[in-house]
Amino acid sequence: MDHRPQAWGRPRDDVYGAYDASYLQTSGPKNATQSPVVTGTSVIALKFKDGVVMAADNLASYGSLARFTDVKRLRVFLDSSVIGFGGDVSDMQYLDRHLNELAIDEAYDNDPSAAPSDGTSPPGTLNAANLHKYLQKLMYKRRNDFDPLWNQLLVAGLDADAKPYLASIDLRGTAFTSPTLATGFGSALAQPIMRRYASTEEQAASRTREEAIEVAKECMKVLYYRDARSLDRYSIAVVTKEGVELKQDELLERQSWAFAERIRGYGTQTV
Amino acid sequence: MFRNNYDNDSVTFSPQGRIFQVEYAAEAVKQGSVVVGIASKTHVVLVAIKRNAEELSSYQKKLFQIDEHVGIAIAGLTSDARVLSNFMKQQCLGHRLTYGRNMPVRSLVDMIGSKAQINTQHYGKRPYGVGLLVAGADENGPHLFEFQPSGMTEEMVAFAIGARSQMARTYLEKNLDAFADCGREELVRHGLKALKESLVQDKELTVENTSVAIVGVAKAKDGTTKMEPFKVFDGQDVNAWIGGAADDKEAAAAEGMDVDDA
Amino acid sequence: MFPELSPGPQLLPGPRRSPKADTGALATHQTSIGTGYDLANSIFSPDGRNFQVEYAVKAVENGGTSIGIRCKDGVVLAVEKVITSKLLKQSANKRIATVDRHLGVVYSGMVPDGRHFVDRSRDEARAWRDTFKTPIPTADLASRMGGYMQAYTLYQSVRPFGITAIVGGFDSELEAPVDGEVGNGPSVGAGGKNPDKKYGGPFLYMIEPSGLYWGYYGAATGKGRQAAKAELEKLDLAGTGALTLEEAVKEAARIIYVAHDDSKDKEFELEMSWISGAGGPTKGKHQEVPKALREEAERLAKKSLQDDDDEDEEKKEDDKMEE
Repeated sequence: MDHRPQAWGRPRDDVYGAYDASYLQTSGPKNATQSPVVTGTSVIALKFKDGVVMAADNLASYGSLARFTDVKRLRVFLDSSVIGFGGDVSDMQYLDRHLNELAIDEAYDNDPSAAPSDGTSPPGTLNAANLHKYLQKLMYKRRNDFDPLWNQLLVAGLDADAKPYLASIDLRGTAFTSPTLATGFGSALAQPIMRRYASTEEQAASRTREEAIEVAKECMKVLYYRDARSLDRYSIAVVTKEGVELKQDELLERQSWAFAERIRGYGTQTV
Repeated sequence: MFRNNYDNDSVTFSPQGRIFQVEYAAEAVKQGSVVVGIASKTHVVLVAIKRNAEELSSYQKKLFQIDEHVGIAIAGLTSDARVLSNFMKQQCLGHRLTYGRNMPVRSLVDMIGSKAQINTQHYGKRPYGVGLLVAGADENGPHLFEFQPSGMTEEMVAFAIGARSQMARTYLEKNLDAFADCGREELVRHGLKALKESLVQDKELTVENTSVAIVGVAKAKDGTTKMEPFKVFDGQDVNAWIGGAADDKEAAAAEGMDVDDA
Repeated sequence: MFPELSPGPQLLPGPRRSPKADTGALATHQTSIGTGYDLANSIFSPDGRNFQVEYAVKAVENGGTSIGIRCKDGVVLAVEKVITSKLLKQSANKRIATVDRHLGVVYSGMVPDGRHFVDRSRDEARAWRDTFKTPIPTADLASRMGGYMQAYTLYQSVRPFGITAIVGGFDSELEAPVDGEVGNGPSVGAGGKNPDKKYGGPFLYMIEPSGLYWGYYGAATGKGRQAAKAELEKLDLAGTGALTLEEAVKEAARIIYVAHDDSKDKEFELEMSWISGAGGPTKGKHQEVPKALREEAERLAKKSLQDDDDEDEEKKEDDKMEE
């Protein structure tokens, strides 16, 4: 046995083989993030005539393990926009800190106490469209640096003309807008439902807040049953001219996976 | 060689706490021909007198567009103005690229202020020898700023800098209350009238020596904003305005002549 | 214009000027002028003074009065903005700056230098957030900015700041969220806290051109600092005196009005900001004092001055009567 201090606490070569230090090499190609680690699943969002509704469950998975069950994946920016995060949770934390600093910068010149009394943000503050453009540039730069932030983001709020605004950005910097949007599994499972509610801007502009919330809940229900990385605890935000209404501890009511007990013929069951 | 021991550079305070180099730089602004700016609730106008070095040479431009929504009027060293103008153009483009909107005019002006201040605190640098009037419109409406070589930037309702500009400022102070509700044309008229006050005797506004620039913004009833992008007018495009700015005395004189003819 | 200057790294010392051999004037310790020791920054005179720093203080003493009041539940900053031209847009040119959500700065002296100070303060506050994942405490910002100002007294290649800055802040008394907290966080908080100790609270510092700074209950600088200090000292700020934030706003307005010299100076505009704790009117943020409150404070300030004048008049009258 090697008793020299420099060997203390190290796996023994005679038991485990020589330590492979190749990944510690400082020269040669560098590996940045190649896959997400702790992840959030779908975020869904849909416009209605006065604003946007967004929802995401409160789960952060570690692989297939339901690791954290109280994670807040909808973040408010400057009391006037909401960002929904799918994908890597630590990259979400980074973005959250970054956006916090951006919000502080914004407050230098736009004194919140000078805001109009009707609840709207003072003119000149970054709106959802500005924020979306900024995040797109950020994500695209990181992808070109070969060090992407492993997220897909939905940005909801109002544009410069105070019209509802909803857009997405992914880890490649791809960005687009749509009357309804979903990330991750939601783009396969929730989008068809939301498109039934509104497939065009015109249709979305004729829908009410209540209708939009109803459809969002319906989508969350479907996701809870069909997406294996989902949860019945979720957050839902409504953005309008009046600001952001965010509820972070909602429960899909009267839902149960109990029926699964009786299902036979799947997985490791032999009977 | 020097007037006193404290005016050799911009890193020495005089015993009274003044920095003479910065004050001398402000003198360079007064060497430039006069420029006037006025803001209303909807528009900002800049007007300027252009100079030519000699009879056959062209006139030096005084008004420059920075971005769709901002422009400047300069008085002082033109080459220093170009440094600031290029910087401002880059900032506006960068802001448009990252946020997809017009750069707020105050942020822009603050940036050149900070840039200029550095030149007044480090050895081997000199203050900019130029003053600017910055006219722009953003989500907070129209704005007019004055920039000085010291790095001082202030938002004004109306202002004039350059040679003999005190006369123009006196005119502006007299008519200050009228500006807020002025329309575009009225504002230009006031601008040119102020400009005239600063002219040396028997010099006149002509299509050759007069520049006008306008930028505007108005909030429509449905909440959308309508922009009139910054635009500079020269030559024949300012002819009608010059005619419109003929003061009452001139107009009376012209009328008097008519009477005589009759 | 500058043929003798060679371009080079910014912090290289400039050409040295040898002090004049004749130090006769210095023997009196009366004057700095003519000795040569006042011609460049960072030069000690034989009696240990840096005259360029003293001259920078002169620039401060010419500026509009700034004050700060630290009361039990917050901080108030106020400044007298002398109206140098009628053409200035009213209340558009702010002199009190927000440095971080909970921090405000006001200054007297050379305004562009003040803007530089604010820019640097914001950089410091951001850098602190990046490193420590928590808002910078007011004391640490004062320390960092004191260090920054001091560095500008060390080299011949720069000049000192022509400002004295007042830094006000409210360090949060609440449990700060753990960095990157995405859920409800640990139920016990970040830990390491002494339950008997009070954390956070209002703080006020004043930094001079030399880089020297102290903490204050009431701070004043600029042209009217003497009168303002006299008024501040009358307030029971250090003791158990129960001056509330709103009362402090009214006192601040009154003090700026008292410090303003009507006979000598032009008109002025009053600008005020305040910072309360999370439970107070600004919810821990540095904000401009709302227009209604400021106007009320100004009305009271004017009334108080009026009353004082009347009293003086009466006294004079009385004196006459006695005669």
